[in-house]
Amino acid sequence: MSEEKLSVEKRLTHTKFEIYEKPHIIVDTTKCETCTDKPCIKACPAGLYTLDENGKLVFVYEGCLECGTCRLICPYEAVSWSYPPGGYGVWFKFG
Amino acid sequence: MSEKFDAVIVGGGPAGLSAAYFLAKKGLEAVVVERGAETGSKNVFGGRIYSYVLDKHIPGWRKEAPIERWVRKEKLSLSCGDSTLTLDFDIHRGYSDEEYDSFTAFLSKFVAWLAEKAEEEGALVLAGSRVDDVLFKEGIASGVIAGGEELEADYVVIAEGVNTLLSEKLGIRKEPSLNTTALGVKEVIRLGRDEINKRFNLEDWEGVAHFFMGGPLQGIAGGGFLYTMGEYVTLGAVVRLSEIRKKNIMMKDIAELIRLHPAVYEYVKGGVLMEYSAHLTREGGLLDVMDKPYGPGYVVVGDAAGYLLNTGFTVRGVDMAIESGRLAAEAIAKASEEGRRDEEALSLYKKLVDESVIGHNLREFKDLPKLLEKDILYTALPNVACDVFKAAYTTEETVQRLYPTMMHSLKRNNLGLLTLLKLFLEARRSI
Repeated sequence: MSEEKLSVEKRLTHTKFEIYEKPHIIVDTTKCETCTDKPCIKACPAGLYTLDENGKLVFVYEGCLECGTCRLICPYEAVSWSYPPGGYGVWFKFG
Repeated sequence: MSEKFDAVIVGGGPAGLSAAYFLAKKGLEAVVVERGAETGSKNVFGGRIYSYVLDKHIPGWRKEAPIERWVRKEKLSLSCGDSTLTLDFDIHRGYSDEEYDSFTAFLSKFVAWLAEKAEEEGALVLAGSRVDDVLFKEGIASGVIAGGEELEADYVVIAEGVNTLLSEKLGIRKEPSLNTTALGVKEVIRLGRDEINKRFNLEDWEGVAHFFMGGPLQGIAGGGFLYTMGEYVTLGAVVRLSEIRKKNIMMKDIAELIRLHPAVYEYVKGGVLMEYSAHLTREGGLLDVMDKPYGPGYVVVGDAAGYLLNTGFTVRGVDMAIESGRLAAEAIAKASEEGRRDEEALSLYKKLVDESVIGHNLREFKDLPKLLEKDILYTALPNVACDVFKAAYTTEETVQRLYPTMMHSLKRNNLGLLTLLKLFLEARRSI
């Protein structure tokens, strides 16, 4: 690792995943339209919440570390959160 | 599955596996249902375990457990900008690991070992299966539903961890609040044993636990951490969700900001990233503890029940989880002997917890979470400390006296003597 800041995308390539075919988190992005500060974007440690070019919230579940932060921090209960089915999702080797 | 167990345990982390180990030891048939593909594959923590609970109850563990290093050096750093003031406490108790009482570990590996121990005693560990519900019969918890199948048992131990989805669904716990929950992020970096020994001035078995305030976390109620493992260093940060909500902080970047801070970078440069992880942790102490961690046919253990204590200088999690699992096993074994599954019989568990080190620790530090919320600890105080030390060690033609520097710095940081006195009084009550 160098003196350069490593992006979270790069760092996530060092974490093992067994990705399930369907998302375990569903975000009702219509609720996000009225949300001004969108704390999910700064809170998600995997950077999975972003804005597209039109300023609309985009969420991808691949790379989810299953921490549960977005479920708690969303002010509008737009996040339906569950764990992936047994055997799937993030696979920590060290922890 | 048609077999009925004495106890089914939801979640194969430290608390659940401890419950299984001690239940099996008492001759009860226990099964652990764990959603991770392997036990340990969903577990994350900072890096340290206190050993008293293992010394007391799991004979021979020091020779078997995946211990990385024994903590001999405790460090606490305050950074302002790139400058850092560090307290370095070398706990010298002798030249053998037998004398020390906390060790660094990787939780995935430690938990996998604990699963082996539970299996050795006769417990069954089913990994790769997610529990979706608790089965109730005539108002008594009587098993779980996992992967569409029913698994029946006389007792259910809920060890689901910090994300209490199941307990919330059962209506026995509220969703954790932003004030009492923190997000931890962590990097595992390989450096090699010799390099770590050299950089940190350690013997093979000796380790460092290092906490940071300020620097990349300037003005944020949270802290950075660094632990030495055998061949690796782990580093990261823990920040309360209420702080993330309020302040401008990108959690996806924070581990890298810690790694690249001058106080940390010199230790980890040239290392290889092995894993990036994240996990929630509890910060509310007693505020976050379930009033009633039991009910008809069930008990709640570990993080799920709120048994974690962060004092700001130590974090007590795995030890209390293991202890709560052990006490749950005690209570269930007693109830089982009496042939009872009612709430009153299982209330023994809470009584045991209250009387144990868990109850004691949480009560002793009950006011601390409030103190640790104070902004002044993360902004003004590190600034003043650094100003004074900068004045002491910066050499110019003219010298600076320290007292006026401090008074000036206090003023600049809006810290009146009255505020300091109030903080002192509060600290006296809570630390």
